Amino acid sequence: MQFACEQCGASVDFAGVSSAACPYCASPSVVERAPAPGRALPSFVLAFTSDEARARTTLGTFLGRRRWFSDGAIARAQVSGLRGVYVPAYLYSAVARTTYSASIGEHYEETEETTSTDASGKTTTSTRTVTRTEHCPLAGLHVGYVTDVVVSGSAGLGDDELQRVEPFDLRQLRRHAPAIISGWIAEDFARDQAACLARSRTEAMDSIGTRLRRFMPGDNHSDLTWSTRLEWEGMEPILVPMWIAAARYHEDKPPLRVVINGQTGAVHGEIPISWLRVVLAVLLLVGLGAAIYVLTRHGR
Amino acid sequence: MSAVPAVALAPCGRCASPLEAGDLRCAVCALPAPPVMTMVAADHARVLRCRECNAAIAFSPAVQAPRCAFCGSVMEVEQPVDPVEEARIRVPFAVPREEASAALRTWLASRGWFAPRALAAEAVLDSLAPLYWAGWIVDARVAVTWTADSNAGSGRSAWAPHAGQFETQCANLVIPASRGLTMRECSQLAGSYDLARAVPLDAARDEGAGEGSPLGSVIESFDAQRSAARALVHDAIEALAKIRAEPHIPGSRFRNIHVSCLVDAQATERAALPAWVMAYRYRDKAYRAVIHGQRAGVVIGKAPLDATKVAFLILAGCTLLAVIAILVLTRHR
Repeated sequence: MQFACEQCGASVDFAGVSSAACPYCASPSVVERAPAPGRALPSFVLAFTSDEARARTTLGTFLGRRRWFSDGAIARAQVSGLRGVYVPAYLYSAVARTTYSASIGEHYEETEETTSTDASGKTTTSTRTVTRTEHCPLAGLHVGYVTDVVVSGSAGLGDDELQRVEPFDLRQLRRHAPAIISGWIAEDFARDQAACLARSRTEAMDSIGTRLRRFMPGDNHSDLTWSTRLEWEGMEPILVPMWIAAARYHEDKPPLRVVINGQTGAVHGEIPISWLRVVLAVLLLVGLGAAIYVLTRHGR
Repeated sequence: MSAVPAVALAPCGRCASPLEAGDLRCAVCALPAPPVMTMVAADHARVLRCRECNAAIAFSPAVQAPRCAFCGSVMEVEQPVDPVEEARIRVPFAVPREEASAALRTWLASRGWFAPRALAAEAVLDSLAPLYWAGWIVDARVAVTWTADSNAGSGRSAWAPHAGQFETQCANLVIPASRGLTMRECSQLAGSYDLARAVPLDAARDEGAGEGSPLGSVIESFDAQRSAARALVHDAIEALAKIRAEPHIPGSRFRNIHVSCLVDAQATERAALPAWVMAYRYRDKAYRAVIHGQRAGVVIGKAPLDATKVAFLILAGCTLLAVIAILVLTRHR
C-alpha cells in the first residue's frame, strides 16, 4: 500500500504498517483509515514510556548478563535495528460461569501404636500421631469476570513472546489517535480475528483454572475438572508498545531477537544454548563423580 | 443513596455499572466504553504538524505527548485519567459541640470497674474538632459463589467441603478511606449514618445540615487515586460477601471460606462523613475518642485503666490458682 508523502510528495510504502517515515524527507506519516468490514482498527493505545536510550541500556544489560550454558558470544553481540513498534493486540474480557468438580482432601490425625523388639528380645510399644487425608467429592459453580487478557494480533510477534513481557499497565490506556503513534512504526492487524478469539478463550480458561485452584477448600485437592461458559465476550483491538531488536552474535547463525516491553521495560529473548558448555559441564560432573568413587574405594 | 445526581455517563453495557467521565473501560467488568466515532471518508496518510513552526511532529515518551523536535512545543493529547478521589457529597452533622462534649463525659463515666473512679471528673478536654472523614458509599448487586469447610457431614476428619451460591445486595455499604481514623473507628461509625440526608459537598454548610453543623470542620482528602480506590472497593465487596456467605454454610463450625463475586450495577459515591474527634487528658496522659456526627450515643475511644484495680485482680487470680493447686496436691497425697 502506497501513499504520497504530504510533506514532499514522494511515494511512501505502508505495507503492513499504519505509520512510517518518508525515506526522502523523514516526515512521520500516519495512515487514517475509514472503517471497513473485516479490518480491525485500534480503539486504544498504550503509549511508549521509555525512549530509545533506555531501551538500549535494558538491551545491553540483558545481553551482558552471565549465563552458565549460553553462548559466550551473546555478550559481544552486535545489535542492529532497535525499533520501537506499536504491536497490534486484542484486549479480551468476558463473564465466566464455570461448573467444577474435585476431590477435596481433609486432613485428620490418628494415633498409631508401634511395637518393636530389640536384639535382647525386649518388646517396646510406642505411640505416634500420623496425619492422614480423607477425600470428599465437591461440585459447584464459580462465577466471575475474566479481564485484561491480551493476545497478539501481529504477524511478526507471537503470543508466546508477548506473554513473556506482560503484564501491561492497562490503566494507562488511551483512545487511539494518530498523534500518539506519529513517528513510530505501528503494525497493522494481521492475524485472523477468529484465531485471536480462540487464543483469548484459551488464556481465559487458563486464568479460570488458576482461580479455581485457589477457590478449592480443604487441605488439598485433586481431580479438578471444570467446564466454562463464556458470556458477554468483548475483544477490543489495541496497540501495545514494544522495542524490538536483532542481535547478531555469530555470522553463521540467525540473529537473536529481543523484545522489550515499551511500558514496563520487561525483556525477553530466546538465548541459544551452547552445547559445548553443556557437554563440558556433564563431563566435569562425570569426572567429579568418578574421582569421588575412586577416592572412596581406595579409602576402604 | 443520595440526592446528588451521578456524574455517570451511559452505564456499562455488560454489568450496568455507571461509567464516569474519563473511563475508557468499565471499572467493574472491564468492558470498553462505547467508542467515540471519528469519520474518515477514505484511507489517506497525513503528517501531523507543529502548530508553532509547522514542522512534522512525533510522539515523545518523555512528555507523553507529540513534541516538535525543532521548536520543542508539545501538542496536547488526551491523557489517561486516574485522578485522586475527591468527596462529592457530605452527610451533615446532627450533633452540636455541646452535645458531643456531654456524650464524652457520659462515655467516660460508663467505662466500667477497671477505669479510674475519678475519670469522668478529672479528665480534661484538650480539643474537640469536627471532622468529615472520607469514605466510599457503594450500591451493587452481587452474585456470590462460595466454598468452605465445615463440620457438617464430616467423617473421620473434623471437616467436610461445601459449596454454594447466593445473590446479595450491597445497599449504602460504607467503605472507609480515612487515613486519620483507624479501621475499627470507621467501621463502628459507618453503620449509623443517615445517608438519605446527604447534600452536595459544595452546598452551604447550613443548607439541610441541621443545627449541629459546625463551622470550620476539616474535610479529609481521600489520598487514593481512582484505580486504587476501585481495587479497595472490590476487596471490600469480597470481604462483605465472605461474611454474608457464613449463614449459608451448613454446620456450626467452618473454615477456609472462599468467594468469587460477579458484581452488577455497582455505583460508587465519594462521601465526607461527620465525626467529632476529641483529645482528652487524664493525669498527664493523652487519649482520643471519636463521637459519631449524627448519633451522640456512638463513641469509640480509649480510656485509661486503674493500675491498682488491675494489679488487685491479677493478685486475686494468682491467689485463687495457688489455693486450687494446694488443694489438688493435698488430695493426691
